[in-house]
Formats: sequence, structure tokens, C-alpha cells
Amino acid sequence: MQWWTLFQKELIENVRNVKWIWVPLIMILIAIMDPLTNYYLPQIIEAVGGMPEGAEVQLPEYQPDDVVMMSLGQFSTIGVLTIALISMGTIAGERNSGVSELILVKPVSYMNYITAKWASLALLVLTAFALGMAASWYYINILYGDLSFGALLQVLFFYGLWLTLVISLSIFYNTLFKTPGIVAFLTLATIILMGLITTIFSHVLEWSPNYMSDYIQQMLITGSVPGELIGTAGVTIILVILLVFGSASIFKNKELAG
Amino acid sequence: MVLLNVENLSKKYDRKPVIDQVSFQFDSGKCVALIGPNGAGKTTTLRILSGLLKPTSGSITFTGIKQHDDIRKMIGYLPQHPVFYKWMTGWEFLIYTGRLAHLSKKEATKRAEKLLERVRLTEAANRRIGKYSGGMKQRLGIAQAMIHHPTLLVLDEPVASLDPIGRREVLSLMEELKTDMTILFSTHILSDADEISDELLLLHDGRIVESGSMDELRSQYQTAKMELGFDGNLDDYQKKVVAMPAVTTCYIDRNLLHVTVTDIGAARLQILTAASTEQWPLTSFAINRASLEDMFMKAVNS
Amino acid sequence: MMEEVNLFNDINWAVIAPILVIQGILIIVAIIDLIRIDKTNGPKWMWGLIVILINIIGPIIYFIFGRRND
Repeated sequence: MQWWTLFQKELIENVRNVKWIWVPLIMILIAIMDPLTNYYLPQIIEAVGGMPEGAEVQLPEYQPDDVVMMSLGQFSTIGVLTIALISMGTIAGERNSGVSELILVKPVSYMNYITAKWASLALLVLTAFALGMAASWYYINILYGDLSFGALLQVLFFYGLWLTLVISLSIFYNTLFKTPGIVAFLTLATIILMGLITTIFSHVLEWSPNYMSDYIQQMLITGSVPGELIGTAGVTIILVILLVFGSASIFKNKELAG
Repeated sequence: MVLLNVENLSKKYDRKPVIDQVSFQFDSGKCVALIGPNGAGKTTTLRILSGLLKPTSGSITFTGIKQHDDIRKMIGYLPQHPVFYKWMTGWEFLIYTGRLAHLSKKEATKRAEKLLERVRLTEAANRRIGKYSGGMKQRLGIAQAMIHHPTLLVLDEPVASLDPIGRREVLSLMEELKTDMTILFSTHILSDADEISDELLLLHDGRIVESGSMDELRSQYQTAKMELGFDGNLDDYQKKVVAMPAVTTCYIDRNLLHVTVTDIGAARLQILTAASTEQWPLTSFAINRASLEDMFMKAVNS
Repeated sequence: MMEEVNLFNDINWAVIAPILVIQGILIIVAIIDLIRIDKTNGPKWMWGLIVILINIIGPIIYFIFGRRND
């Protein structure tokens, strides 16, 4: 009951501050940017004056799964940046402004407060991501060739887990710090650091969430879900749960004023 | 019946106490003022009571609440500078806080309607809070604090940031409220406390330096002072007055004799007797009761 | 599989229309929001120019950095 009240408030807030309009739109743009520019690259080069004499560009013929990976590539940079920016103030901002002083003196369960924030963000981001990938799928099918709907769903599920991890990290830092800028910075820094650690210790960290894209690509090429992808998905889900519960317990023991 | 009992409450930051061994208690139905200068620890005390801060040591006992039960259910809290969601309307905010406090949709609606009327915001109910004035926000703040029928209303400097009109609005609202609920409010403005509270707690440097009802404190700190006005030279009379047994000091300032006495009754009798038998050219005779400011200064200095 | 598309004359509308629509929505929503909002980070007229003049990115940076949410 109380959870639903908190969740509804988050939804209404994101409708009124028009996040429910622009976040899906930006995710669609992110998703279709590369498929379009790569397809029209020859014309674009010509339009800006063509190649110098003698230089010949050999453009590769992209397959549908290459193009999916292009879209995911953009999500892993601009997409993650966008998520960090839209989520950086969800709790930190409320504590910073002081609204939380009015809310948290009511008998509000900290677990409800955190999970409602988390769920509303996840709903927004994952819906936007799904719309983006649907747009990308639309272009792939008219410009590059067939990609099955089932494959799209698999991509949505597995890459959605990775984005959920990003959201959970942001929520976690939101409970630790009151300055939204610091929250965004630490979220991004953690993801970059995780990437570095994964590269350095690649032989032991086979199921690191940072491999999600690589295994998705494998899945698209082979047409079957590789075991590593299941493992990575499992690790990601566990991390998400740990982060959300960790956030709630940090919040519970934190002084919420001053 | 004792509603709240606070014992040896301390809060330290980096070993520096903000409040130090604070103890007090009060009965239900009272309006209690926590008075002290800025930085005395008023906000810290109230935040601990409302559960926003955790005390370093000490205990808070609330009558009618079981151990480990959520104290927040019993308390309605208004911070010093309440901040709302600007994008919500006053109505939406009240429903939201009511629902958070486990009221049903129906209850919350009924309660919000009633409270909006009580704090005179019915007309502004569907306007966005971002457009509210300071006084309106403060009144909405009081309404949200009362939404879940709290046993104790805790208000932190409820009128400090308001203009004279807003102050008047909020003070008269508190005057109304105190007839049917227990209120604990902090202020650094002594006249506000004087106006509406039944009991005072004087906080200074994180310690309770004095407490009691207004009348008790008045009689305790009664520094009896008299002011006498004369037609003519004051010096002769000063000598006579200072020689009286009930008088401690007597000095001249701005054409008045200022007399401090040990016992008002005795001093009055001695002075008036002398004045009538010796036919003093008295033009004025006044007894000053201690002001709250005097009382506060005395309590702090002792 | 590559069809000849002349960039200026023979536009493939199935490809371009969605982008134009998205860009249009972004600008309109940003401007309506800019008019309705009380305060922005920095002057409103500046955000108006950014939204109108910078293609696609303008409205987005307005939503992320220009809006004040509290």
C-alpha cells in the first residue's frame, strides 16, 4: 500500500517533469544513430565533398547482428551517461533540498522508499530502452536485413539487466551522498573501474557484468544462448539485489537530517 | 498524565556536544515552548524526537507506545524551513503524506479537506506549492504535520521566517490547536513563547537551564524593581530610599529613581509611608515585573 | 541490397520521418516546458535559443541541465 503510494508519486513526478517524454526519445535517438549513419555513410561522404582523389573507402557490409551491437555500443556510453544524469538526484536531491525531512518523519519504511524509487527508475529506463531497440529493429529490418523478434526480446532482456545494474549503482550512491553531481560521477567511475578490472582479470572474471555485450553478440551470431551469458546474467541479478538491499540498510542507519 | 519523558539526551558531533544531558518531561495537552538563542541545540533536540537524528546517548519515553514501535506514528513534525515538492498542489501533498502515514484513500481525503479548511488553504488547495507564499507554506506544513492525528505536534521555529502577517496567522492557528492537542515548539522569540505556551524549557549551550510554567518562572525570577518619579531634586530622596531596610540598591537614571528591593510588599509600604508622612512630591510610582528577557538572562548567567 | 538514395531529392521517407517526428516533439515539449516552468538554471531566453538553434541535442541538454527539479 505504502509502496504503491511512493511508486505512484515517482511516476507522476516523472510525467510532470516530462522525463516520460524525453528519456524515451533520447533512447530512440541513441539506438538509431549508428544504424542510420552507417547506412548513409557513402552519401554523407559525397555530400560533404567526397573522398580525396585516389582514396577509396571500402565499407563493410553490415549484418543485422553487427547493427544491434552498434546500438548497444551507444547505449553503453551515451545511454549509461543519460541514466546516471537522470537518476543522480532521485534521493540525493530530495535530501539536499530538505523535502525528505517532511517525508521521512512520516512512518515510511526505508525499504519501501528505496525500492519504489528504484522500480520507477527501472520502469522508465527499461521502457525507453525497449522503445529505442524497437526503433533500431525497425531500421535493421528495412535497411540491413531480417532480425527475428525473438532475438530482439533476448537482447532486451539481457542488456536490460545491465542497465538495471547501472540504475542500482546510482540508487546506492544516492543513499550515500547528498550531492547529485557526486552520485553521477561515482556511478560512472564505478562502471569504468569495473570495466578495467574485468579486462585485467579477464581469466577469472568470466561472468563479469561488463561482458554482457560480448556474450549477447555471441548469442546473436550463434543463435543460441551461451552458458557464460546465463552466468553473467545471474551475477548481475545478484549484484542488483545486493545493491538495493544495501541501499535500504544504509538508509535505515543513516541520519537523515543535518 | 506524562506524555513525553526525555532523559539525559546527548548528541555529540566529533565529541563536541550539541546537546548535553538534556532531560525534561511534559503532560499531554500542554503547549510547551523550547526557548533558546540560535545554536543552543533546539533543532537538534526536536530532530532527535522526530526520529531524524539518532541520539548519542539518553532515552525518550513516549506514553502509549510499545517498545520498538515506530515513534514517527505519534509525532507530527514541521521543520524550520519546510521544503515541499513544488510540482505538487497543496491538496496532493496532503493526500500523499496522509497515505504515507497509512491512512486509507477515503480517510486521507476527508482529513485533507478538514485540515485545509482549518489552516485556511481551501482556496489554494489546487494551486502548485511552488506558487505559495511563505505563510501559506508554513500553514501547509502544519497541516501535513497533523494529517495522521499525531499525539504530539513538534514545530521547529514555526514563525521565525515569516513576515508580521504570516506570523500572526500561524500564531493564532497554534492558539486554536493547543486546545485539543499537545504541542512542543521551539523559538528564539520570547514574546511568542509568552503568548501561547503553558510551559517553558530554557535551552542554552545544549543544556536545559530552567524549566517550568510561565507563572512559576515569573515568581522565581521576580526581581522586584520599582521606579519613582519626583518633582524636584532626586538626590535627597535617593539617600532616604537607599536607607530603607527592604531596599538593596537605588540609583538615578533619566530623572527616575530605580530601586531594587528584596521584598516588594515591604518596600512598597516603607516608601509609600515615607512619601505620605514626609509629603514627597511623587509624580510616578511603578513596580516592574521581570520580563522574560530578564528571566532568560538570569537563568543563563546563573 | 544498397538502394540508390539521392540525399536531397529522393528521400526515403520511411527512414527519415521518424527522426523528424522525434526532433519536432523534442522541440515542442521543451518550449512548452520552458514557458510553464518557474525557474531554470541560467536565463530562460538562453535556454530558448539553445532549444531552437541546436538540432536535437538542444532540447536534451535543456532537459538534463536547464530544468530545476524540486
